[in-house]
Amino acid sequence: MKESLMDIICCPMDKHDLELEVDDRNDEEVLAGTLVCTECGERYPIEDGIPNLLPPDMRD
Amino acid sequence: MSEDAASTEAESGDLTAAEQRRAVRERYARIATESSGCCGESTGCDEADADDRAKRLGYAEDDLASVADGANLGLGCGNPNALASLREGETVLDLGSGGGFDCFLAAREVGDSGRVIGVDMTPEMVERARENAEKNDARNVEFRLGEIEHLPVADGSVDVVISNCVVNLSPSKPQVFRDAYRVLRPGGRLAISDVVVTASLPEDVRSDPESVAACVAGASTIDALEEMLATAGFERVRISPKGESRSFIREWDDDRDLGDYLVSASIEGRKPAH
Repeated sequence: MKESLMDIICCPMDKHDLELEVDDRNDEEVLAGTLVCTECGERYPIEDGIPNLLPPDMRD
Repeated sequence: MSEDAASTEAESGDLTAAEQRRAVRERYARIATESSGCCGESTGCDEADADDRAKRLGYAEDDLASVADGANLGLGCGNPNALASLREGETVLDLGSGGGFDCFLAAREVGDSGRVIGVDMTPEMVERARENAEKNDARNVEFRLGEIEHLPVADGSVDVVISNCVVNLSPSKPQVFRDAYRVLRPGGRLAISDVVVTASLPEDVRSDPESVAACVAGASTIDALEEMLATAGFERVRISPKGESRSFIREWDDDRDLGDYLVSASIEGRKPAH
């Protein structure tokens, strides 16, 4: 996930901004980390560079 | 007709929303992980077949040549990019991006100053699309796991929403259109290809999960879609059935002529500028 996309992503549930916590990155993008909703606190994982922004009840 | 519009949630026969979602995810996870994509080994459909299909759906030879193999899974029913008339610098959102084919074509149109976001609820599809992004060196395309009823996209941040044969799969289409409207900037546009129902499907088709997942049983009538789009707030709504699509829809089912019930259509609308 490229950090430049932070400005257009949001929490799928309440549409509030997300905060990025980075665990691993390369020159271009964030490979692992977490997106945290600034409103509801829900945590969305980033794995293998893919942000998982599915509603919590749809996550595997 | 009005009854259809009013009861959209119950439209796809007797399947619950959860059953419908599960059937869709399972089918597309399977397709994403099959080596050749398209319809898999059982039918012997390969990249050449997928390309041949795409040409019949309205893609130019040049479109197909510009995207590396593996992104075109032969799952569309039209060419939303052709409808969208994309311009340099625009931000595009693809609902149900699958292998990423339409995203890569859109990326070419919007150029380096634009960007394309693909949302798909099937992890296997998003992984495949991400691999394809590397093969295509597509730097202005991003994929994320998400549900089209709950888009993880900020309000008013997108110029164009595209989608190819996906909205029919949703158990809650009015919500899909409401959320698409929310993410569009004022004056932003919706350009979708999807199947629509022209005659009532037989009951056994409507209640078959496989049939919902295969873009058949969940399709709506044009009247119902028009009402959903208007209710969501869209203006200049235009739904144009493509009669010629019946020829490829006929090939979707070996036992039944689905061309009697379904047709592919272009679905367009605009979010008012003010």
